[in-house]
Amino acid sequence: MSKLRLRLAIFVAKLVSFLSRLIGNQGETLPGRILLAIEPEAISLLAQNKEVILVSGTNGKTSTTKAVATIVSQLGQVATSGSGSNLSWGAANALMSSAPYAVLEIDELHLPAIIAQTDPTVVLLLNLTRDQLHRMHEVKRVADRWHVECTEAANTVFVADIDDPYLNYAIANATNVVRVSFGGRHHPDGAVCPRCGEYLTWVDGDYSCSCGLTNKSSELKFEGGSAAYRNALLANIVGEIVGAEPVEFESSQLERRVTKVIVGKNVHFRLTKNPASWTEALQSDLSEDVILVLNARQVDGIDTSWLWDLSFAALKGHHVVVCGERALDMAYRIHVEGIESRVVDSFDQALSLSRGPEISVLTAYTAFFELAM
Amino acid sequence: MLEIIRIHNELLGTYGDNGNAEVLKFRAGLREIKARVIDVSYLDPLPRGGDIYLLGGAEDAAQLLSLTALRKGSILARAANKGAVVLAVCAGFQIVGTTYRTRDQEFEGLGLLDVTTAPGDGRLVGDIAIKSPFFAEPMTGFENHSSVTTLGEGVPPFGTVIAGNGNGVAGLDGAMSNNVFGTYLHGPVLARNPEFADLMLERALGEAISSVDDELADQYAKWRRAVIK
Repeated sequence: MSKLRLRLAIFVAKLVSFLSRLIGNQGETLPGRILLAIEPEAISLLAQNKEVILVSGTNGKTSTTKAVATIVSQLGQVATSGSGSNLSWGAANALMSSAPYAVLEIDELHLPAIIAQTDPTVVLLLNLTRDQLHRMHEVKRVADRWHVECTEAANTVFVADIDDPYLNYAIANATNVVRVSFGGRHHPDGAVCPRCGEYLTWVDGDYSCSCGLTNKSSELKFEGGSAAYRNALLANIVGEIVGAEPVEFESSQLERRVTKVIVGKNVHFRLTKNPASWTEALQSDLSEDVILVLNARQVDGIDTSWLWDLSFAALKGHHVVVCGERALDMAYRIHVEGIESRVVDSFDQALSLSRGPEISVLTAYTAFFELAM
Repeated sequence: MLEIIRIHNELLGTYGDNGNAEVLKFRAGLREIKARVIDVSYLDPLPRGGDIYLLGGAEDAAQLLSLTALRKGSILARAANKGAVVLAVCAGFQIVGTTYRTRDQEFEGLGLLDVTTAPGDGRLVGDIAIKSPFFAEPMTGFENHSSVTTLGEGVPPFGTVIAGNGNGVAGLDGAMSNNVFGTYLHGPVLARNPEFADLMLERALGEAISSVDDELADQYAKWRRAVIK
């Protein structure tokens, strides 16, 4: 009975997917939603015949998922979720494929349920930092949920960057773990031990707690590097677990960066969505012309207070133009740090004010999709 | 030199409230008032002679650690008694109250404000606007908390709620006593409401300060007021 219902669900979902593509929609959400509406168990049923790999974390999910999919594709066909389509219906949609492997990006709050439903071979945990707090509420709250599910999932290998104390805590009681450390990176929200609530001791970017939680207990230890470098390494560790050969990546492949030529100028878009990704982006080389785009829709985080959790000092000396729905939040934030900007109503206006041939655009999540994709 | 003490930013800095110190220093600077921000970590003793003490929002475990450290020597209560200005936001507001309760425990607060905090029915998240008796225009911010705060008898609120929840009781937000201000407004509150930053500077200096022309600050505050009604 349920098999029949699943077949019917897939048929309808694929039909809708086909029709919606006919009228020009990218539509990964709608077919997945229909599938789950007709067969609520679709995810676990579809996952049964696949090797499933899940990727989650605050930053780097989409690009690292792509990297893992590339690595695993050496072994066979891979079903994967489209850009940022990381809720349950995105997973459901991807799992409809007949491919033997599925590599899925999963939203932090949806991860426990998807682990329970798919019984994955490997789960890669990248990082947990403050993001969309109107929805996540607290970083610790997300880590608590992960901890419970990671402890339960006895068939799964968890690969985690334990320089992040939240991840180390999440997998602390898991059956199969590969703890990875690069060392020397102070976690921006890591003052308190997520396991016991004591004040964490940080020395040179490494932590330890009286309860025993430390990043010195890793199975694998590597030199430090950029987020792109670390995520490429983590992706290859996942690949090795499922038997794939390592693949080399350009760092640009593991960053949410897109360069487009617009009115004869090279416009370099970079996704910046929370303090951690902003800090990473501001450490990179920026053009003299910089455009900042800030929105605060649901997926951007509807509260902009976090702008004050990082320093924008790297923008000093640049020609800065600000736009987006929350441009004033941004303009005032950097104003107080001594950086003056022009506030304009549209991205086109911002472009027209640029002086040189190269423009760096640091942009919120929703704007990144509208402007760069 | 105006000393702005940012208390336990690594613990009480979860919701951007660290920006309050930056705004105070910035607006003092616009008037050529010398000011400096002193960051005091959980491991440091709290300086006694500060002019303005700032506490921000936090996650539960961090809030408790901060409270435990601040209890030592009652330095904050003494400074407040001597007239120091204190701005306590969200978890900070709960810390400076009489008691706060979690689901399983009750903690004695620092007692700067006669308020008690207890778990509420659900998380209160979203834009908030309040009317404070100090200002002609409403104040705006963003709230994100799950506890509700009840004022002791005769304790004045910081403001009455126009939109959002605030304390979650009786349509009020925050509380105050002399130069101690408690509120649930993040934003940070002083960035969204520059007139409040100026009030704090005046209280700290004990004298009126000149008005300044910071067009962007006013434009930002006005726009938020227009959006949140």
